Formats: sequence, structure tokens, C-alpha cells
Amino acid sequence: MPLRKAKQKQERFTPFLFLSPAILFFCCFILFPLIGAFGYSLITWDFFTQPKFVGLDNYGKLFKDPIALEAVKNTFIFTIASIVTHVGLGLILAVAVNRRIPKFFAYIIRTVFFFPFLLSWSATSIIWSFGLDPTFGVIDFYAGKVGFPQATLISSTWALPTLIMIDLWKTLGFAFIVILAGIQAIPSEISEAARVDGASGLRLFWNITFPLCTPAIFFVSVTAFIGAFQIFEPMYIMTRGGPDNATLSIVQYLHMSAFRNFDIGYGAVISVAIFIVVLIVTLTQFKFAKRWVHEG
Amino acid sequence: MTDKNVTETLPEKSVFSRRTVLKSAGIGAAGITTAAALAACSKKDDGPKDLDAATVSFVFNGSADQAKSFDALFAGFKEKYPQIDFTAQAIPSASWAEYADTVAVQLAGGAKYDVLNLATEGALLFADKGVVLALDDLIARDQEEMDIALADTHPRLVEFGKKYGPQDGKTYYIPSGGMNCMAAWVNKDVFAKAGLELPTDDWTWDEFLAAGRTIKKKTGAFMFPVTAEYFVGIMPWLTTNGASTMNEDWTVATCDTPQAIEAAEFARQLVVEKLSPAPGGTFDRFELGIKGDLAVFGGGRWPVLAVRAANAVDKYEIFDFPHKGANRGSPVGWAAFPIMKSSPNVDAAWEFVKYLSTSYGATVFAKSGGTASPCLKSVAESQDYLADSPVGTEKLYKALDYATAIPSPTKGNLTQRTIEDVWGQIIAGNIKPDAGMKKMQEEVTKLL
Repeated sequence: MPLRKAKQKQERFTPFLFLSPAILFFCCFILFPLIGAFGYSLITWDFFTQPKFVGLDNYGKLFKDPIALEAVKNTFIFTIASIVTHVGLGLILAVAVNRRIPKFFAYIIRTVFFFPFLLSWSATSIIWSFGLDPTFGVIDFYAGKVGFPQATLISSTWALPTLIMIDLWKTLGFAFIVILAGIQAIPSEISEAARVDGASGLRLFWNITFPLCTPAIFFVSVTAFIGAFQIFEPMYIMTRGGPDNATLSIVQYLHMSAFRNFDIGYGAVISVAIFIVVLIVTLTQFKFAKRWVHEG
Repeated sequence: MTDKNVTETLPEKSVFSRRTVLKSAGIGAAGITTAAALAACSKKDDGPKDLDAATVSFVFNGSADQAKSFDALFAGFKEKYPQIDFTAQAIPSASWAEYADTVAVQLAGGAKYDVLNLATEGALLFADKGVVLALDDLIARDQEEMDIALADTHPRLVEFGKKYGPQDGKTYYIPSGGMNCMAAWVNKDVFAKAGLELPTDDWTWDEFLAAGRTIKKKTGAFMFPVTAEYFVGIMPWLTTNGASTMNEDWTVATCDTPQAIEAAEFARQLVVEKLSPAPGGTFDRFELGIKGDLAVFGGGRWPVLAVRAANAVDKYEIFDFPHKGANRGSPVGWAAFPIMKSSPNVDAAWEFVKYLSTSYGATVFAKSGGTASPCLKSVAESQDYLADSPVGTEKLYKALDYATAIPSPTKGNLTQRTIEDVWGQIIAGNIKPDAGMKKMQEEVTKLL
């Protein structure tokens, strides 16, 4: 009897043993920093002098800060553009590649579009900085030849659209591959049955392909939102948030507040605000997902 | 007795009192200073014997190429103080303000350094945070040696060190560790190819513009890279028109004076006429210049490393920056080597600071090319500094006579970002120069 009890006890703990690395990782890199950020947001501290408790003062400051509002606006524009372009073009590409095109071309297209996703944001930013150099950049030169604006990274009008375009170049491949995988997972009998019933290509897409790949589209839209809302590197490397804060993202503003202005409390408030926005939007996405995402 | 105890027992007397400064400046005659510097060299040989084994860690701003020129400096120190375990770490940064921010964050993250390399942009920030040690006791201990170095230091640097240092009556930085003024590095081949004679030190903006147009027309080369870098790209145009970003005390913004606006208009004109590569690019000005695609670039001492590496020393001659009317000008920034309050090796760290601030270290650094000009007249006039350098290198030191200290208040990292961002928009044509400089004035005023 005691032996059985000991075994039961051991069985109860075994799953936790297996989970412990993940739990430890989660606690160290997510939970504790999150709690820490909430704690820091209640103080004013410059790294060196004694911290001072200020309650919710830092939160009040956030709502009155015009630069923070500008950064939020830029970030939302970037994020919405990112989701729309990734889902839209990713879907179009996936449908196109899924059609009966020679396998060789399908491989080429997949590789070409997915390759930039493997590059780090730092490498991507440096490559594009060279390409868009207003005097010596090849991309800038040819953009001018076909009537596109030039010197876009130093234009307060065109800098943000340029970064949106670069983001699309870099991460479209991910959306494309995920949606393509979703389309390819649709059982061929369903499409064939629809065709036998006389469904045209467009009808097949709207009634079969699109509804059945909505889980993939949903996944892409959630990850695109989380990734885009936390964008930092291209702004930091290519435009420094300028010109005139036209490309300042909220995470970059967090970095600026905490590590340039040495206002740790305020930086923590921004990080808490980012957490809350991402949480609310993601939960909303999940809530509305029930209405349009097909549950297979 | 520990290092700390040694410093605590020293008398509280600063070598940089007003009386001492005036006295030192007064005895700055060339003959005396040269002899004094030599005496300092010989005197230093007695120092290390009393020093116990210790470690010293040093952090400095430098790219991989620049870091190489520091190697000789460090080797000289290690040779002189074999009992000290010396380590150095380079942090490559786009600007001194960015470097200061990086070091501050590292320190907050627990990094331990004994000595920092700071520039004017960042010096007040660290003193304001209370992390650097007041050197008064250490200076008093080696008063004679420090007085000798001070007497050899350009009087304006001594004055700037006093005026723009922390105003709490203590000394945190020794103003003799290195400095940079801005001058025009002229590619003689490009001028010759365009059929132009080399300029004089008295050249004006109009002459500069005329030369640029001729060079563009006859060779296709750019005249000068107009950029939004505070020290290299903005302040030279302001100071050569009698303007600056702030008043002399760095308490009031002066970005919208007619002279400052005129400087911005001139910089923009260079871009509009395509005499400069379009701003915001990624080009390397030294590479472009050495290739002959750029007639002039601005710089202090640091371009000598690139020019030497490309065997192009003879291609270049250094002239004063072109100026508007009678206003010859240049910004000046100087190095500071504070000891951290948290350093457990204050005495050893002090030996390193002294080494950097006296003629022995300055000579080693000057010979290796270095990234800064010496503050010591004896070294600046020596062949150790002038050899294997373009003709006119001595002007980088002489510019101190008329240079303006680069305005770097406590929030200098933020004012610099604002100034660079607005200037960048002006030269890119996003905003008109007068509106831009007014905007800069408002933004900087908010930060002061």
C-alpha cells in the first residue's frame, strides 16, 4: 500500500518534472520581468541614484506625452499595414503557387519569398540602407527611373511606408508558407467534389479554399500583429525613429525613454502599456475568431 | 594600506583652483613647457615602483580600426607598469553621446570598469549621476606632475575644463587627455584635376562654393559631404558663421539666430547643387575621398588612420574650415578619463589616467596616429605627432585658439538627438532652414 502511494505521488510529479525547463524559462524570461516591469512602473529611477516611489504618476505622464502618442500612431499604422499586406499577399501567393504550376517553379517561388525571413532584422536593415542610399543606392536609383519617390528614408512622408515595404519583403515569406500549408492540408476530395458539382474557380476559392484555410490565416494575423506591434530594429538602424519622429515605434520610444533618457519608471510604463494592448487585441482576435475561423 | 585608504588620507586641495589655473596658464611659455614635459617623462619612471599589483579595466569608444591605434598606447602602459593587469574594451559607437549612453547602461547592468574614456558629450552626464570619483586628492598627491602637464596644456582647454565641468567645486576630469577640433581635409589631386589652386586657411564660404561648382563641373566629384552629425556635420558650419547651438554657458538655446539660419541655408545649398552626396546615405567619406570622388571632408585627427591605411597621406593637405566673413571657427571636444567611484583599484587607475594625461602617453598615442590630437603643446608641435601626417596637421591644434566648446549640457545626449534630427530634415529639404532652426530652438530650449 505505501508503495502504491509513493508511485502515485511520483506519477503526479513526473509531468511537472518534464515541464520544469519550460516553466523555469517562462518564469525567468517572461513572468518575473513582467512583474518587475509593473514594479518599476511605480517608481522613478535613473539607474544610478536612489529610486523613488511615485505611484501611478508615470501612467498619467504617458497619456499627456505627445511623442508617445505619435509613436503609438506610427506603430498602429505599421501594424495594420503589416497584417493587411501579409495576409492579403500571402494568400494570393499561396493560392497561385498551389495551382498546377511546375514543381520547379513552385520551389523557386517558395525559396525566393521565404529566404528574407531567415535574415536577421539587423542584416535586413543594413542591406536596405545600402540599397536605398539616395546617392549610391541601386534600389533608390531604379525606383527613381520608374517614377517612385527617391531618398525615401529621409522623407517624413515616405519613411514609414518604406519601412512597411521592407517589412513586407522580409516577412511575407512566413505568411505565404503558413497559408500555403493550410491550403495544401485541405482534403483534395472536397475540391474535387465541388468541381464535379460544377463549381467555378472563384466559387471554389470562396466556398472551399478560403474557409478551410482560415485557421492558417488567423494564425498569420495573430503573429503578424504581435510581431509588428513590437517592431524596433529597422527603425532603430535605418531611420533612428526620424525624420521628425515619423518612424518612431512604441518599442523604440520605450528604449529611448529607458536607455537614453534614463527614465526607467517611464520606460516600464510603456512596456506595461504595450503588454496590455497586445493582450487586449490578441484576446479580441481570439474572441472574434469563432465567427469566421473554420473549426475543422 | 588599501588603495582607498591612500586616497582618503590625502589633503583636500585641488590643483585646478582658479589661482592655479591662472598661474599655470601664465607659465605656459614654450621653453618652460617643453622642459617641464621632459621632466615629467623622466619623473614618471620613479612612480611605478611603489605600486602594488592591481588590475585596471578601461572602456573606450572605437571601431575595430580605431581600437588598433589604442593598442600601442596600452602596450606602453603595460610596459611601464608590468605589475598592473590592464584590460581594455572598445565600444564602437556612431557618436560620443551614443557611446556615453551605452556605457551608462552597461554600468547600470553591473559592468565594472575602473577608468572610462568620455568626451565632452557625456562628461557632465556621468558627473551628474555621481558615479565618477573626484580627483582632487589624487591630483594634490601628484601636484608637481599635474602642474607640469597643466602648464603644457593649451590654456583654452584648461579654461573649458573648468568652465564646462561640474560646478560643485570638485575636479573629475583632467583636460589634457586629447582633443579634436575640425578642419578641412583637402584632396590635392581633385583640386589639381579641376585646375584649381589649393585654398588658403582664409577661404570663405563663397570661395568654397565656387571651388565646389568647378570641381563638380570638371571632375564630377562631390565637394563635401553635408551630414547631420553634431560635431562633424553641424557645428563646423555654425561656428564658421559665429553661431552655435547654445550660448557660452550652455544654458540658453541659440539655434535660431540669423547666423545659425544662414549656416543651415548654406549647408542645404550644397545639397541642392549636388555638391554633396544626398544626406542620409551610407557612404564612407574617407573611402570616397581617397578614391577621388570627394574633394574635401571635415575631420579632426581621426581621418589620419584611414588616410595612412590607404597610403594617401601625401594626397591630403589640411586647411582651416572655410568661413563666412571674418568668423573663423571650429567646434572642439576633449577627452575625459574619469575614475569610477566604485573602482577598488584607485591608485592603479590613477596611474593610468596620469599616463594618458601626461606627455609620455600623449606621445605614444600621437605616434600611433590616434583618434585625437594632443592637448599638450610640446607633443602637438613634435614630430611624433606631425610625422606621417598630411601637411597642415599642426592646424588641428592651432584651431584651439578660436574653437568653440561643443555645447553638451547634462542632457546632451537628448539635445544632440534633437539637433541632428532637425538638421537632417533641413538638409534633406523636408523643412525650410529658417523654420527648421526655429523648431530646433524650441526643442532644445525644452531640454535645457
